[in-house]
Amino acid sequence: MNPAIETRELCYTYEDGTAALDHVSLKAERGRITGILGANGAGKSTLFLNLNGVLTPQSGEVLLDGAPVRRDRKGLAELRRRVGIVFQDPDDQLFSADVYRDISFGAVNLGLPEAEVRRRVEAAMERTGVAHLRDKPTHALSFGQKKRAAIAGVLVMEPEVLILDEPTAGLDPQGVSGLLALLEQLRDGLNMAILLATHDMDLVPLCCDDAYLLGGGRVLAAGTPEELFRQPGLLRENHLRLPRIAHLMDILHDKDGLDAGPAATIGAARREILRLLKEEER
Amino acid sequence: MGTDRWAYQSRLRRVDPLPKLILSLTALVVCLCCGSGAVGLATAAAMGVLITALGGLPPRVYLHFLKIPMAFLAVGCATMLVHSYPAGTPVLAALPVGGRLWGFDGAALAAAAALFFRALGAVGAMYFLALNTPVTDLTMCLGRLHVPRLLVELMELIYRFIFVLSETAGSIRTAQASRLGYQGLRRSLSSLGTMASLVFLRAWRRADRIYAALESRGYAGSLTTLPGDYAPGRGLYPLALAVAAGQLAVLFAERGVLG
Repeated sequence: MNPAIETRELCYTYEDGTAALDHVSLKAERGRITGILGANGAGKSTLFLNLNGVLTPQSGEVLLDGAPVRRDRKGLAELRRRVGIVFQDPDDQLFSADVYRDISFGAVNLGLPEAEVRRRVEAAMERTGVAHLRDKPTHALSFGQKKRAAIAGVLVMEPEVLILDEPTAGLDPQGVSGLLALLEQLRDGLNMAILLATHDMDLVPLCCDDAYLLGGGRVLAAGTPEELFRQPGLLRENHLRLPRIAHLMDILHDKDGLDAGPAATIGAARREILRLLKEEER
Repeated sequence: MGTDRWAYQSRLRRVDPLPKLILSLTALVVCLCCGSGAVGLATAAAMGVLITALGGLPPRVYLHFLKIPMAFLAVGCATMLVHSYPAGTPVLAALPVGGRLWGFDGAALAAAAALFFRALGAVGAMYFLALNTPVTDLTMCLGRLHVPRLLVELMELIYRFIFVLSETAGSIRTAQASRLGYQGLRRSLSSLGTMASLVFLRAWRRADRIYAALESRGYAGSLTTLPGDYAPGRGLYPLALAVAAGQLAVLFAERGVLG
């Protein structure tokens, strides 16, 4: 099966001459969350704007479900329907002071009949848990609530690919857990391909199924999160680090000479430590 | 945005804005055209009853909002009230200044009072709209009345981003104040200038990001959205007629009493 979205040798240079994307090739599969890791300025945001047709690459192509995207008006409209972006700052995305009307915007732009728009708005509000905020003005919402409303405004277009730029930045710990639960529900329930940019490394083993490391506009490494964590040097060169748990297991292995295997989540580390303890007993 | 906060809590919040607009405008026009203080007072009272009974606003709050334009009205009416009269004219109260009397007589007092209450009535009529209709509903309604789309969209965007900008300005101000940026007039002025230019720059950059976000959601030149479901509110049309009839009845009663 074709990946939901794929880029081949994508290049993008800003007007001032900085190469933001340098032959980027990556893909995101349906029903999987793909993490795009990279420090500030690695090219994550530029990549996302290229994937959704807001920016046009100088060379290379974007493929949706195996078919190259046309850059004419119809092709772009199609691309924007199928690929939705949730921006980092919800205040950049919510343009209406009325939550319901803001969420309806994307669906109205698709030219759907009113009843269908209303059905989708209700479904998106239900899914993101903002239904009770419909009577509030946007400026009365908390940051986390604005974030959810912004996600609802993208879900209403029923995209196949959902892109989130630093989705957990600025959220409190419970807000982060809620968001992860929502993403998992979208991945498993709607079989969406989800791409998320982050430099919150502790988040990566929790939610990402695949990961790419981006640096200086190039793909430096690709694989499962566990595969990326085996290259701590490369992560550090790119201003990233191992997740705390993975780092701990690393130290136990290298410095303390324990026979601990790699583990990046609390669950995996617990299993590993229990295994070691049981071996000790025997 | 004091009125807007109450508008979101109003029981008429979910009622179609058009009948609300029509009720407000009818009451306003009739009140202004009658040119009578009694009608003005009756209008302000009637609007108070409607806002509290239908919208669920506490009467105390309505009275508070009526007090806000009081100062403007008082100043405006004072200039209507005071005239200069030749010495010896019968007046109610006056001061002799340089051979003439400066003060007011019965007719001037009546005219000033009529103006004051007329304006109060007009304010009351507008409050019915403002205290029951959020701004976004009002602009939506203007769009339906074929006000140019560009104007309506600008109003909506400005209204939304007033809050974002004022938040930005507020946080810059706090950051400056926490480093003693507002001690003394000179420093205050310089800090204020820096803040203004920073807010402008940030707004400029934000505009780019907003445009990208709109485009990514399929923006094609118009900010068309679908409002939440409105209750039709057709009951407000006969109510508007009843209010107008009441206003006219007060006018005729006043004319009858005065002969």
